[in-house]
Amino acid sequence: MIRHSKTQTCLIYGSALILALLLLLPVLWLFIMSISSTRDLTSLPLAWIPTEASFGNYRDLVSNLDSSAAQSFLYALRNSLIVALCATGLSLLASIPAAYSLSRLPGKRRRGLLFAAIVTFMMPPVAIVLPLYSLMATLGLLNSHFALIAIYCGILVPFTTWLLKSNFDAIPMDLDEAPIIDGANRLQVIWHITLPIAKPAVGAAALMAVLMAWDEFFYALLFTNDIRAKTLPVAIADFAAGRVADYGLISAAGIMATIPPVLLAYFLQKSLVSGLMSGSVKG
Amino acid sequence: MTGLSLKNICKSFGDLEVIRNVNLSIDPGELVVFVGPSGCGKSTLLRMIAGLEDITSGEFWIGDKRADHLPASERDIAMVFQSYALYPHMTLAENIGFPLKLAKLPAGKIRQKVKTIADTLHLDELLDRKPGNISGGQRQRVAIGRALARDPKVILLDEPLSNLDAALRLEMRAELARLHKQLASTMIYVTHDQVEAMTLADRIVIFDKGEIAQIGSPLDLYNRPANTFVAEFIGSPKMNLFPASLHQTDRNKAKIRLKNTTYDLDTDGLTGDILDTAITKNRGETIKLGIRPEHLHFSSEGGLRGEIRNIEHLGSDTYIHIETEAKADVVVRSNGISALRNGETVGLIPGPGMGHIFDQQGIRVT
Repeated sequence: MIRHSKTQTCLIYGSALILALLLLLPVLWLFIMSISSTRDLTSLPLAWIPTEASFGNYRDLVSNLDSSAAQSFLYALRNSLIVALCATGLSLLASIPAAYSLSRLPGKRRRGLLFAAIVTFMMPPVAIVLPLYSLMATLGLLNSHFALIAIYCGILVPFTTWLLKSNFDAIPMDLDEAPIIDGANRLQVIWHITLPIAKPAVGAAALMAVLMAWDEFFYALLFTNDIRAKTLPVAIADFAAGRVADYGLISAAGIMATIPPVLLAYFLQKSLVSGLMSGSVKG
Repeated sequence: MTGLSLKNICKSFGDLEVIRNVNLSIDPGELVVFVGPSGCGKSTLLRMIAGLEDITSGEFWIGDKRADHLPASERDIAMVFQSYALYPHMTLAENIGFPLKLAKLPAGKIRQKVKTIADTLHLDELLDRKPGNISGGQRQRVAIGRALARDPKVILLDEPLSNLDAALRLEMRAELARLHKQLASTMIYVTHDQVEAMTLADRIVIFDKGEIAQIGSPLDLYNRPANTFVAEFIGSPKMNLFPASLHQTDRNKAKIRLKNTTYDLDTDGLTGDILDTAITKNRGETIKLGIRPEHLHFSSEGGLRGEIRNIEHLGSDTYIHIETEAKADVVVRSNGISALRNGETVGLIPGPGMGHIFDQQGIRVT
């Protein structure tokens, strides 16, 4: 065990505390805003602690289905879930075999492909958004889940492929050859051996992919225009775009929008536990 | 039980030729050991037999079926990897049963087979554990168990004992010998350890730079090495090779004179036509006389004189290093503990018929 001096310990804990505050204070402030009244939020000087706490904003968002706020929030939640989960699922379906092939099979051209993948990932969205828009318009796909899922897959596949490839690289080659000698084909190797061993990596890739799709704003803003396809980031932005911005409502929607990814992270956390590799090869 | 045959097998990686013209046939039920220094191509050849590497040219037959174009999964060959390659997320029972699961056997049958194998390998208590929670020797057993599960035609073992400590290696070696007798299956065993090769093999194939240097039973290789490479590789400490020259003394007799000395040796066993050819071919050339350390004896007078430079006591044996005019470091192995001291001058005499004569290219003469 490494021993630290008292100063070192203080510094480490101090830094950790500052980091925690930096991460948590905005969320805390968002929460305070969401339970404050409009009067508190607009008064000068600003009332940091609300005079009266109320969960009315949350009620407005989920229970009162006739209100336009609730409608746009709940539809957006549904759209976000559909788009993020489908895009993640499809991306993993494509990137798992792709990553396996890039990691395991021989061939010089594969390397080129890998770099092509990262180049598309690096490309700024503004560069391709116009041709994409006209393409989607021609196909009649604007304002649909399908358009967003397809675009997000384009973003996620290179990313998850890279992430998974570097993890598959760490699995010893013998663990590929042994099942083949045992009578497995490549797909069976992936299913029975590679995926269970790389479960933490797949979990991490899925989580990152969901978060990226969940938070994506630029394409969602441009390619959707009503509650049929608008996702949460766009819907929340809409709350701020009217003549009067209801900051309490916006904050409540923000808090609610973070709940699904946080839940997902909580459940995937179990699969993120690594250390599965111990004992497979050598001693 | 099935035999294997390899005909003119070659393998190159780009311009690099790693296996040259290997011809070998393995009988059903035989345990053949591939042995050689690292980089000699023995593991590559094993991987080619398994189907993990392509064959550049040549033919490979399993029984009477040509197999060099069959994928690994269809060859019905099992392999034990040097690293064991156990599946870390499966229990030992699942590991052993995995080939059977792939073959779509009913679960009941798999369980039964796994149990039989676990009994043979003394693993029955551990079947619910994962590979991370057992010892190296047990992992080795599981790897062997997985190879046995399908009752494969041939079992390949790639340096299976090299990750074990010395005591365990000895134990597993005996166990492997027992298993081979019990199963009577065809096995190919790759190792760089000549002791494993000598103790386990029905036949040994020695590789040198991608070619077969010699094939034979362990004692064949020890008693009649085909060339200086095999002569030095088999036996520990390795054979002493003296530079020498061949001189005809009579019509049917010749003597070998060690370089830089006046010490002559009889060429027992070297007579008739063989002697004539040997003399014509090697007239005036430096040949090699090989004598194993255990076949050199001390004499107070005569023999090849030299001074003792170093003595290694192993308890059961003593290795004595002697500097002579003919060869700078001659090793003698004597049983038990020797009373000789550093700096003493001694004479060396080989046991009768214990000299091996190799020509200038290093090929055995008789």
